[in-house]
Amino acid sequence: MLKTAFKFIKYDRAKSIGVVVGILISIFLIGQQIGILGFLTGLMGGIIDNSRADIGQIWVTDNITQNANQLTQLDARLVQEIRSIEGVENTFAVVAANSIVKFENGKTATVTIIGSKAPMFVGGPNPYKINKGKLHNLLLDKAIGAEFFDKKTFENDVEIGKRIEINGKEAFIQLQTKNARGFGGSFFFTTLSKARYYGNFPPNKVSAIAVQVKPGYDLTKVVKRINTTIFGVRAWEAKELKKTTIRFLTFSSNIGTSIGSLVIFAIISGFFIIGLTLYSSALDRIKDYGTLKAIGATDGYVRNLILLQSVIFALVGFSLAFLVLMGFKNGVQRSGLVINYSLLEVAGLFFITVFISVGGSFFAIKKINSVEPASVF
Amino acid sequence: MEIVASVANASKEYKTGDTIITALQPTTCDFKKNELTLIIGPSGSGKTTLLSLLGCVIFPTTGQVTICGQSTQGLSQRQLAQVRLKNIGFVFQGFNLLAPLNALENVMQPLLLLGIPRKEAKERAKEALKKVTMQDRMSNLPKMLSGGQKQRVAIARALVTNPSLMLCDEPTAALDIKSVAIVMEELKMLSTTSKSVAVVTHDLRLKQFADRIIYVNNGAVSNEPKEEEFIH
Ligand SMILES: Nc1ncnc2c1ncn2[C@@H]1O[C@H](COP(=O)(O)OP(=O)(O)OP(=O)(O)O)[C@@H](O)[C@H]1O
Ligand SMILES: [Mg+2]
Repeated sequence: MLKTAFKFIKYDRAKSIGVVVGILISIFLIGQQIGILGFLTGLMGGIIDNSRADIGQIWVTDNITQNANQLTQLDARLVQEIRSIEGVENTFAVVAANSIVKFENGKTATVTIIGSKAPMFVGGPNPYKINKGKLHNLLLDKAIGAEFFDKKTFENDVEIGKRIEINGKEAFIQLQTKNARGFGGSFFFTTLSKARYYGNFPPNKVSAIAVQVKPGYDLTKVVKRINTTIFGVRAWEAKELKKTTIRFLTFSSNIGTSIGSLVIFAIISGFFIIGLTLYSSALDRIKDYGTLKAIGATDGYVRNLILLQSVIFALVGFSLAFLVLMGFKNGVQRSGLVINYSLLEVAGLFFITVFISVGGSFFAIKKINSVEPASVF
Repeated sequence: MEIVASVANASKEYKTGDTIITALQPTTCDFKKNELTLIIGPSGSGKTTLLSLLGCVIFPTTGQVTICGQSTQGLSQRQLAQVRLKNIGFVFQGFNLLAPLNALENVMQPLLLLGIPRKEAKERAKEALKKVTMQDRMSNLPKMLSGGQKQRVAIARALVTNPSLMLCDEPTAALDIKSVAIVMEELKMLSTTSKSVAVVTHDLRLKQFADRIIYVNNGAVSNEPKEEEFIH
């Protein structure tokens, strides 16, 4: 039957190409949107992703925020206070201060300076995101770390040794990160004291407190303990805070709705374009299917023959869409749009492909099912 | 002689709205082995209806159809398909070769439907094509073949399963005189190999190939012609 299915596909070349291109376009569009959504949500949770979440597994923030990119100042004494709670190994102050950076060519931009204590730099950058320079470079006088991909936003390169001004104070880029970015903002990383200095951040305040849990202690229990012991703050597991931030930003920015509706639109239009093309190509072959029935093929056989064709279309269309998506991914990577597809997303795309092509064959099958073998006499 | 197929008091009526069209009046006749039966009658007389009943593609309104000793009464669509596949070879007026498949693949199709392995099906299909001297055009798509050649491939497809009954609906209608002779010779030859061959036609010149002639007129079947109606 496989060979027969291939022959049928090959014979109706124009329509077969139409179906494959239809699948290719829908799946590429959907994959592209999902990739971009993944990239954007990655940025939304960037402040957590860039941090040493392996050490600071718990984040303590003010008790109102739903967005790790918008933190209200906390009393710095809480850093000591939380350290004394059972199950807490260590606490790390994190300062996030919005500032204005000015380059020597006069170009200015707003950045968030993230400061945390050397040598851990729990607030970031995570060592695997360092592109140039060493983490301890940040200990140098006037040293900050800047992001490679921000060179576009800054209209300046972000090379080591570059002189800049932050809020009017001289600083030097001594570290270059790659892909340590935030949502709609740029991060500069430095020590706690320099973050306060450059960001005009009060010495008795912090933005968040990262908490390291003692080995053997249950993360969720420590979170609970902090929340019940200390009033006016909220402790989160770092990944929870990230999830909440992403959820908050995705909906408040309408990104979720616009990408979601695009994906649904692509699925629906793909479904009908492919459905109609399969239907029309089945109509072209109606006499052949009727003849098959007349000479003794069962309805089930004919249905499977059509289904098999749609599965072949799905496989071919998906493979092509996947290749084009990989090309797209590699093409935009250089410009800083870093897209990664999880296995789940790839599986999801494949499922959608099968859904629109096998589902689309429903109309064709319904039509061919009703063909009487007597009709070909 | 052994009876391959029979219709007993079988009739066919079609209801369209309030009117009932009697396509075939209650008919009884047998089709025997080693016999080429010609079914002759004017257009709309019920020839195709009779053939369709024999071919188990429609159910009789009344009466019974028996194929190779098996009554078709009460059989499901699926079971009827099996009866057709195993016992009946069809040759259509419009050839009805599957357009996407080449001659060989077309002839292989019934064997594949029977579940015969591809390799064996290929060998048997080649044999069948040899019988109709079409072995040189095996890899041609139907659209590359002439009408007569198509019909010979169609005959090969009908005979490849070695059916007991061959049903041919105006197999020569679309052919020139030379092709008519070739196709009819082949069908005649097949009828001598333990098959019953039924050929529907309104071409009286085919009489010379017939062992027996059935006349259909206005849905009624008889063994005698109403001569005046066959003057073309
Ligand atoms: N599916 C159907 N619905 C309604 N009427 C039908 C149907 N099939 C056949 N008929 C009618 O039954 C009668 C016999 O038709 P049939 O096709 O058997 O004629 P025929 O002898 O094969 O004619 P022809 O030589 O033109 O092929 C005709 O009047 C036809 O209109
Ligand atoms: Mg007819």
